Amino acid sequence: MLEAIGLTKIYAGRTPALAGLDLAVPPGEVFCLLGPNGAGKTTTVNLFLDFIRPTSGKALVGGVESRLDPRAARRKLAYIPENVMLHGRLTGLENLEYFAALASGFRTGRDELASLLRKAGLPDEAIHRRVSTYSKGMRQKVGVAVALAKRAQALLLDEPTSGLDPLSANEFAGLIDELRREGMAILMVTHDLFLAHRCGDRVGIMIEGRMVHVLEPARTDHLGLERAYLEASRKGRVA
Amino acid sequence: MSEELESNARGRRVSPALVVARREWVELLRDARWVALVGIVVALIVAALAVGIVERSRQTRERAAAAEGDRRVWTAQGPKNPHSAAHFGQYAFKPIGLLAIADPGVDAYAGSAVYLEAHKQNEDRFRSARDLGSMSRLARLSFAFVLQIVLPLIAVILGHSAYSGERERGTLPLALGLGADPRALFLGKALAGASVLLGLLAIATAVLCLGIAIFLPEVELEADFFARLAGLVPAYAIYILGFFGLALAVSAAARGTRTAFVSLLVFWMLNGFVAPRVAGDIASRLQPLPTGQAFRDGIAEAKRAQFGHDEKHPAFVAFRNRVLAEYGVDRVEDLPVSFRGLSLREDDHAGYRIFDEQFGRLRDLVARQDRLRSWAGFAFPLLALQPISTAMAGTDNAHHHEFIRSAELHRRRIQDAASAELMEHGGVDGRAYVAPASLWEAIPSFSPTFPDARLAWRGRSLDFLRLGGWSACCWLAAWAATIRPRAA
Repeated sequence: MLEAIGLTKIYAGRTPALAGLDLAVPPGEVFCLLGPNGAGKTTTVNLFLDFIRPTSGKALVGGVESRLDPRAARRKLAYIPENVMLHGRLTGLENLEYFAALASGFRTGRDELASLLRKAGLPDEAIHRRVSTYSKGMRQKVGVAVALAKRAQALLLDEPTSGLDPLSANEFAGLIDELRREGMAILMVTHDLFLAHRCGDRVGIMIEGRMVHVLEPARTDHLGLERAYLEASRKGRVA
Repeated sequence: MSEELESNARGRRVSPALVVARREWVELLRDARWVALVGIVVALIVAALAVGIVERSRQTRERAAAAEGDRRVWTAQGPKNPHSAAHFGQYAFKPIGLLAIADPGVDAYAGSAVYLEAHKQNEDRFRSARDLGSMSRLARLSFAFVLQIVLPLIAVILGHSAYSGERERGTLPLALGLGADPRALFLGKALAGASVLLGLLAIATAVLCLGIAIFLPEVELEADFFARLAGLVPAYAIYILGFFGLALAVSAAARGTRTAFVSLLVFWMLNGFVAPRVAGDIASRLQPLPTGQAFRDGIAEAKRAQFGHDEKHPAFVAFRNRVLAEYGVDRVEDLPVSFRGLSLREDDHAGYRIFDEQFGRLRDLVARQDRLRSWAGFAFPLLALQPISTAMAGTDNAHHHEFIRSAELHRRRIQDAASAELMEHGGVDGRAYVAPASLWEAIPSFSPTFPDARLAWRGRSLDFLRLGGWSACCWLAAWAATIRPRAA
């Protein structure tokens, strides 16, 4: 569903932000990208979204190359950034109604949308409250509800639990599990080793624009994942 | 899945542009600052119109009273020599157009009356700007000021963060990342903003019409008023929408909201306050008007060729000989008409040609200045809008010159009537002739008709072209900047 083929991004006069990334995330899989700042994780997400153009290589979403037909690629995607920002003067339900209609071109019934918000874990009392009063975790949940309402085939998450308290992060991880079970292909960028170990079917470690390790959490504990990550980071720093 | 099946499964199909527009409207309505701002603008419109109506009523009243008094003085001259009466003179007061309440134009800076007397076409006098304080000269609250300066500022405030703000808040990347069509985003934002601005313009127009209907009941709204309004309202709509298009373009292209706002504010100030002054100064330098003294000296110089009252002037002698030859007599005493009446008429008609030439040259210079000034309207739209606005309001130089022309025609009618009276009844010399008091009643007072809308529309196509061209460029730039908006 999500595929990167030799994906490269070089900003003018700088070292490559992403150097020949090859990656495939099939439906029903969560692929986590770990790496220090500047490793190219967010660049990868932005290339799938066609927010930036690749220097070479391809980013494919359901077989559609993002660069060539960004809207067709985005129609299959949902995107939850580090900080889901919504329209503060609208309620959670109105925001969901807006983004869902914008993404799909259809108006979904309010009852159905409210049930999606509940499914995403938003408390009932918050559904009709203005988003300006929401915590970050509540906004992330609206973001998940948008992905559900849109019936996206793939989900891009850019550090979705950054700044969330442990309870909210745990709830969010549960949502990711549910989306995976529904067959969504998920690419999640994170600094959170525990989240990557808990949610990821595979975890890729990126250093300086390159994928240096791909691990399967099922075959290692989170300490093993941490060791691999730290070792790769040190090597990258020495190099 | 077929579209019908998909529609059944997912709900009713909606227009994404309308979805965006509806969201923008809801957010504006829920923003107390916007509600307050719109309220302030409407209050300003009402206040400006009230000022316009009060000012027009005062001027109309004062001019009517002055004209009535002047007429009383004129008709109370008693038995008198007609030429003395012509020298005694009378005033012609400028009529005020109905839409002067919206745009006072050059009226405050041009005279409100012309003194009509024998042998001389006087310049206009009584400029109300002389009575204004220095602050009033900088910015007078008028309906046109609100529409020309305040509404574009509202367009800037409305549009500057349309993209940059959403980008900074993160809602734009979210929408684009979900596959929102940038064209729908653009159309939705354009529709929402344009509807707010056009709504304000519609309120302004309604307030204008209602204000006239309620507070000027003596005035009938005729076809001419609507023909002028048909030029005024679309011109303002193009102008204000152009500003909003520009705001969208800058918002989409700028790095941040602050950059967008400052850039737009700089343009707003240049357009509203700097460009009119600079363009006016440049036009004055390229097409300088003579000073009042130089203008009067020019007329005096040209009139030296005329004989006036000088019976030893070679032109007078030549005229007398020509008249004697025409009538086949040797002495003026043998003429069947008063020679004095004839000579005064001859001198007046020679003067008309000089005045036509001198005032015509002045009028052409002013028109050339106006044309030069409005050329910069391609870059600064106020310079294209103002000529349209003042023309439609009947307060531009063309309408003023039309008043000057009709006042001069009236003066000539008085001169010709006085000369005709002398020629018929004045005898040889005419100086001793005393016309009956009823003659002054027979000479009508100056009663001009306000020029019809054709004068307002004449020559305005270039201004509309400049204004429309600027607005279209702004919207093209907005389209180009938003069709692939920067998400980050």
